Amino acid sequence: MNPSDHPLVIVVGAGGVGKTTLAAALALNQAQHGDDTLVMTFDPSLRLKDTLGIHEGEESDEVKVADYDDGSLTASLLDARRTFDRLIDRYAPDEEARRRILTNRFYDHLSGSLAGVLEYMASERLFEISQSGRFGRIVLDTPPTRQALDFLGAPERIVGFLESGALRIALKPWFDARGRFRATAKFGIIGRNVESFFDRMVGLELLRDMAEFFQAFAPLFDGFRERALEVQELLRSSDTLFMLVSAPGPQRVADTLFFARRLKEAGYNLGPVVVNRLHPHLGNDSKAGLPTVGSDQDGRRLLQWLAHRDAQGAAHLRDLLGKSHPVVELELRPDEPTDVQALAQLGDQLRKGIEDNLG
Amino acid sequence: MQTENSIFARLTELKLIVVTGKGGVGKSTLTSVLGRLFADAGRQTFLVEVDPRENLHQLLGVPPSGGDIVEVAPRLRVQHIEPRTILDDLVREKLKVDVVASKVLASPVHKHFTEGAPGLKEAAVFGRILRLLRGHTPRGIPTPDVVILDAPATGHGVSWLAAAQLVADVISSGPIGHLAAEVAAFLKDNQQSGVVVITTGEEMPVQETLELIHSMRIRLNQAPELVIANALYPTLPPEIPAEGEDPLFDLWYSRRQINDSELERLDEGWLGPLAELPILPIEPGPALVGRLSRYLKRELETGS
Repeated sequence: MNPSDHPLVIVVGAGGVGKTTLAAALALNQAQHGDDTLVMTFDPSLRLKDTLGIHEGEESDEVKVADYDDGSLTASLLDARRTFDRLIDRYAPDEEARRRILTNRFYDHLSGSLAGVLEYMASERLFEISQSGRFGRIVLDTPPTRQALDFLGAPERIVGFLESGALRIALKPWFDARGRFRATAKFGIIGRNVESFFDRMVGLELLRDMAEFFQAFAPLFDGFRERALEVQELLRSSDTLFMLVSAPGPQRVADTLFFARRLKEAGYNLGPVVVNRLHPHLGNDSKAGLPTVGSDQDGRRLLQWLAHRDAQGAAHLRDLLGKSHPVVELELRPDEPTDVQALAQLGDQLRKGIEDNLG
Repeated sequence: MQTENSIFARLTELKLIVVTGKGGVGKSTLTSVLGRLFADAGRQTFLVEVDPRENLHQLLGVPPSGGDIVEVAPRLRVQHIEPRTILDDLVREKLKVDVVASKVLASPVHKHFTEGAPGLKEAAVFGRILRLLRGHTPRGIPTPDVVILDAPATGHGVSWLAAAQLVADVISSGPIGHLAAEVAAFLKDNQQSGVVVITTGEEMPVQETLELIHSMRIRLNQAPELVIANALYPTLPPEIPAEGEDPLFDLWYSRRQINDSELERLDEGWLGPLAELPILPIEPGPALVGRLSRYLKRELETGS
């Protein structure tokens, strides 16, 4: 349950809840406690990027952020397209296969917009680095996804796709040497109907492009498939711990609970649940009833109302999950923590919150 | 006073409004708010959501309906559309023979093609919306004057808007290709369709909004009709207590300062209509939608 006991920590949660900042704070804290730590991140704010010293399109994708007597922090910005290209460089059997893939017009669409590619690439890169043994601890931020679990499903989806009949069908020689569609009788009357249906629906041109893409990709598939399985194993191993981050407020509880259940059901190791950016109880506000707000312009009363609302949400989540997981509450700060000092403070709070709530 | 060229008047000329923005900024709330405004102004309004959690239904005070069109107020209806179902319907429609249709639907090629082909689902949702606008509604349900789509949050907001063109480029013939081309043309026609971007007054949502506006300009040669900055802390009173005297005020002060500087950055990068809405002490639901719609109406009529 404690991130300090796991070499690999994956920070998950819906978009906009502060995953990236918490991943950076956690990683910095681990570094300050003596680990050589890597934080892998997707989409940091401009100021956080400056603090971590990472920028798109740079030669080296790993930047040393801080060096302590014992322990260090390195940051890396994940870029799906670059990782995809690197993968093809590695698995393509020869220059010709590599060139065919990189110039296929599907590749452009696929590497940018195919569902799950970014997620898959993240776990792929994670595996690569974790195998290299260069870091004692890795903290992975996860990309913003519609369904927050897309990230975890990606390796399995890729394997499912590779094992499905889609690939075999796509790899059939659909076109003869002159590029004309070749009707096949293998599937009998229904099979021919299915094929001719796709022909009518999407046109031969698309089928030709897809077939060419899959044929070009075929030599890579074995390595790809094996790797996807290994990644999946790593994500489920006891070395890996998930930290779930949620926004405050009662209306988020259902989503957070759903996410926690899905993670556990799928066999992942869920650790702390962090309710992030709660409006704090300040001033002489009583925690008894909900304060009434007179005017929409009264910011003090509004903040009290928000503090009360957020506390209710956190209490509800604690009731539901607190027995099995440390539920950590982190307050909204006057400013977003982006410099090293503020991140270190947040990291301390997070560590303390986890330790205090470990049963 | 509503003037001829107010933003509200301009919005009411459109047939389709796509509401987009980063996750957690209040897209569904603002989709409902816009819906309330249009319905109150006498327009037959359809709200469409794609997210299976059916948040719009909750916000409007009706239970999830699993795809049925539900009337939530006079002239205001909401529907959840499942992209996969539309694609399956399309197969059934084109294949008259049941046994062949079910064979196609069960085939891995269909499954992976519809799951994996970039842009296909998005184009299908827009295709369905186009049909609604052309009067293909179930018996007893009027043709909508305007459809408002609560577009899902994606890493790249422009992908929903660019999807149809992508499909049209890749699939140049057949019914899917034709549908995509038609949808792409509709989305490009700024007399008929427009985009409203929702953000909050915080760094990351503002950053993504500016990037979205930029990529809309570059990739689609389009601009949003309106940007709405939602969930802003109240503006500060003239009398400011000294720092440290009142911790509650200090937090209000610093959060509002962030709102102000981010709004300024947004305004400089966008230069178009910008509406500002407050955080209200009301849980999400019809009461919040009602209150916010009055705020938004005022913002849109005065113009900014």
